[in-house]
Amino acid sequence: MIRMTGHLFAIALLLVSGTQLLAQEVRLFSFEGYAEPEWVEPFEAETGCKVKVAYTGSVDEMFSKMAASKGADYDLISIDTSIFGRYWEQDLILPIDLTRVPNTANLLPAFQSVAEVMSDGETYGVPIAWGSLGLIYDKEAFPDGVDSWEALWSPENAGHVLALDDANNNVTNAAIILGIEDPFNLSEADFEAVKQKLIEQKQYLISYYAGFEGGVNIWDQSEATLMFSMGEFQAVALAERGYDVVYSIPSEGGIGWLDTWAMSVGVKDKDCTHKWMNHYLNESTGPVMTEKMGYGNTTAESPGLDYADSLIWLRPAEDFDMRVQVWNEVKAAQ
Amino acid sequence: MRGSVAGLALWAVAVLLILGPLASFLVYGFFSVEANDIVYELTLANFADIAANSSYLTTFFRTLRLAFEVAATNLVLGYAVAYFIWLRSRLWQSILIVGLAIPLLMSYIIKIYAMRGILGTNGLLNRALIMLGVTDEPLTVLLFNLTAVRTTLVVVLLPFMVLPIFVALERISDTILSAAKDLGARESHIFFRVVLPLSLPGALVGAMFTFVLATGDFLAPELVGGIQGFTYGRLVFSQFGLAYNWPLGAAMSIILMIVALVVISVALRVGNPRYLK
Repeated sequence: MIRMTGHLFAIALLLVSGTQLLAQEVRLFSFEGYAEPEWVEPFEAETGCKVKVAYTGSVDEMFSKMAASKGADYDLISIDTSIFGRYWEQDLILPIDLTRVPNTANLLPAFQSVAEVMSDGETYGVPIAWGSLGLIYDKEAFPDGVDSWEALWSPENAGHVLALDDANNNVTNAAIILGIEDPFNLSEADFEAVKQKLIEQKQYLISYYAGFEGGVNIWDQSEATLMFSMGEFQAVALAERGYDVVYSIPSEGGIGWLDTWAMSVGVKDKDCTHKWMNHYLNESTGPVMTEKMGYGNTTAESPGLDYADSLIWLRPAEDFDMRVQVWNEVKAAQ
Repeated sequence: MRGSVAGLALWAVAVLLILGPLASFLVYGFFSVEANDIVYELTLANFADIAANSSYLTTFFRTLRLAFEVAATNLVLGYAVAYFIWLRSRLWQSILIVGLAIPLLMSYIIKIYAMRGILGTNGLLNRALIMLGVTDEPLTVLLFNLTAVRTTLVVVLLPFMVLPIFVALERISDTILSAAKDLGARESHIFFRVVLPLSLPGALVGAMFTFVLATGDFLAPELVGGIQGFTYGRLVFSQFGLAYNWPLGAAMSIILMIVALVVISVALRVGNPRYLK
């Protein structure tokens, strides 16, 4: 019996691998929410290309899997603009043939030529989704609105402020608030200023929080009215719990992230791969994604997400280790 | 033959799953990191960095103090609870001990969240206080500070204190207690001269457990400690989860492990009845 199952299994394997050789397909390695049936099914019907998806839990997991296999397992990966340097350094991604992605014409002006995905005049990423790390405030507590991050440093708001527990984003955001020209390339003096700024904030904080849910929960269990947020989702979640909150990007600007499709150096079916990118930028995919997942899309105005121009897109930090050390020192300070 | 195969298998498991990872950890502490890559050359640089960084050191000592406070509080509370249970009937003993052990089956994170639910502004405790008229406004001092970390750790770690003390009390033979009574000892006399010395080893084991667990904890400080909740455990965590500086994190862990080993060996030594003269 066992032997027979073994034979059957072997035959099944042969069949599967046989069909895989014949079928055209695109192998995606992405974060959840970028390959939903709403746009995968029409794509498969239109092009005859099959979509195979593997999901990742983190930016670093994705990088290490890509590095370990030299990209052989995937055709396209969803990576944000700050991480291209690491992929270039290890030669893990290939330039995209934009003539085969005519729908790039649909990209909104802000996403037409994103410098972070370009190298030597070639484009390595097609922008597909974006979001930000904005400020959330309680409407009742601030009827006139809040238009500066300095509200999170104001003695009047002591005991009502929440901030994200994340080294890189706190350092970057503080640098933006301090008006440092390049918040991703800090000098030693900049680091010191950022550190002092963040230590100064501690006296006004209720707590730092970790994770989307973490922030929402603490808001619920404290007297928070202001929050350095992890993203649009949190405002949605707070509204669902009955809080009248506003999500905004203050006048100093805010951190934005932009995810792209980038082509793995191990790409097999270039045709299907380019067709998928093209499909992603057609007129319907982006808005459907925004509606279902809440991410901003790159081809149409995303309702409620009207601040793309005031975002400072995430870029690779000068020294990640240093940032973690500064952040630890901030947290250890009394 | 059978026995030796099983023995070998057990050794293999121990080496593979316990000693191997531990050894790799020890070795990692002597590597270093350059440009996001681990340099596999032995160096003491991590330890020098730790010794030279005042915020690492203050965090370290602050954490030890916190753990000591938790262990001391738990020693008093845990002893009282264990003694109380010990005095009940057999049936009540079983019920109470099972009741005490049930939380040990629950996820640690859930227990911390539960504590947050109790201590929060809209929490159980505040609602009760308002209902009883003790306060008009919810108290914000209950949550997101070091006291909340202490409270949470004391509550969550209490079973680790009660159980060994109870076991030690259980081991005290009835004949010894009867003998003490027959010889005319008063209740308090029996407690201080017989029960307490005989149960002290259990109490020390409990104190050692709670101290070591509290020192290494990195979840309670993060979830209920607010801005004061930065402990040594968080520091180690950040080296692995965020900085990818595994060697520095490993070196920090080695220091923590040495502290734990010292505490354990001292507790074992002091807890040995032969030294209790």
